[in-house]
Amino acid sequence: MEAGLKTNSAMMVPLLVGVLALSVVADASAQASPWVGQIKVSRGIVVLERGGQKFPAPVGVRLKENDVILTEANGSVGLMFNDNSVLSMGPNGEVLLERYAYDSTTYLGAFDAFVKRGAVSIEAGNLANASPESVRVKTPLAEIRGQARNFAVNVEGN
Amino acid sequence: MMMRDGIQLGCSVSLAALLLAGCAGQRETYAVLPDAKGQVGSLTVTPKEGAPLKLSGAYASAVGKPGAIEAAKLSEEEIKAAFAAALSARPDAPVRFTLYFKEGSDELTPESFKDLEKVLAEIRKRPAPDLIIVGHTDRVGLLSDNDRLALKRAEKMRSEMLRQGLPADSVQAAGRGEREPLVATADEVAEARNRRVEMLVR
Repeated sequence: MEAGLKTNSAMMVPLLVGVLALSVVADASAQASPWVGQIKVSRGIVVLERGGQKFPAPVGVRLKENDVILTEANGSVGLMFNDNSVLSMGPNGEVLLERYAYDSTTYLGAFDAFVKRGAVSIEAGNLANASPESVRVKTPLAEIRGQARNFAVNVEGN
Repeated sequence: MMMRDGIQLGCSVSLAALLLAGCAGQRETYAVLPDAKGQVGSLTVTPKEGAPLKLSGAYASAVGKPGAIEAAKLSEEEIKAAFAAALSARPDAPVRFTLYFKEGSDELTPESFKDLEKVLAEIRKRPAPDLIIVGHTDRVGLLSDNDRLALKRAEKMRSEMLRQGLPADSVQAAGRGEREPLVATADEVAEARNRRVEMLVR
């Protein structure tokens, strides 16, 4: 039988002290994962707007539905979502995480991002495995979706 | 920046005149990029007014202005330049590790125990690492027992990662029992390659 367990006393020396220090950045109020993603890259000035309030958004910050991410003229940011989808944005950008739902067992769900301004690149993750058009970008002028897992949208003049 | 400011100023000054036509400064660009495996799909751009436009092929692009979206002939270089800052801010792709267990046990095989060091090395490379650990079993035994064993394997690795200093909310563990064998077998077949956890370092 595969089942029928013994526990081995693992014997590895902790090696990740550096990681521990960085994890302090993570939000203190960790409940049953309301998080949809995390900031993995943050350069220059990046701001998170949540519930009408603005926060600095360094690497490690977790993201929720309805969060807005803004970059200043020197800023750029890279987000990774629970399904491994990636959204990255250059300077002077603003994106609203309008909807994010993901079932890690079936890969079903939906991801809608509204790009108000700025240059954004998207690489769809597991959501696109279940349904290629479940990752969608909206802009002031249009809606973009398709079989392409990797695409880019630039919004100027807003 | 000067030009951008100029456009925005013009936009607000003549706002009333432009209400019907939309703001003259608004301009959007859409482009298909090849993915990491070199595969390319198509993209449909549906404007708020007007007909949808389908973009097919790597670096196919379109430009949108109020009231119209048209195919564009931007070169690969122009597209890469326009999105250089965004593309350079992409997070590193996740890396997947597979570690194997002794039969019926949550104890790693000696080889996989050594591989744990590679997982830790990948974690250390990343500024804000998070891990998704999924446990699996072979098809020997009851489905329900294997569900428990798969989860136990995943949770064992999770504890190990927490002991290494990763924060609890950065490590998820789940079990898939015998449902997702790496190597398809008949039921009740002992298969070492299916007794594993997959660890996705992100």
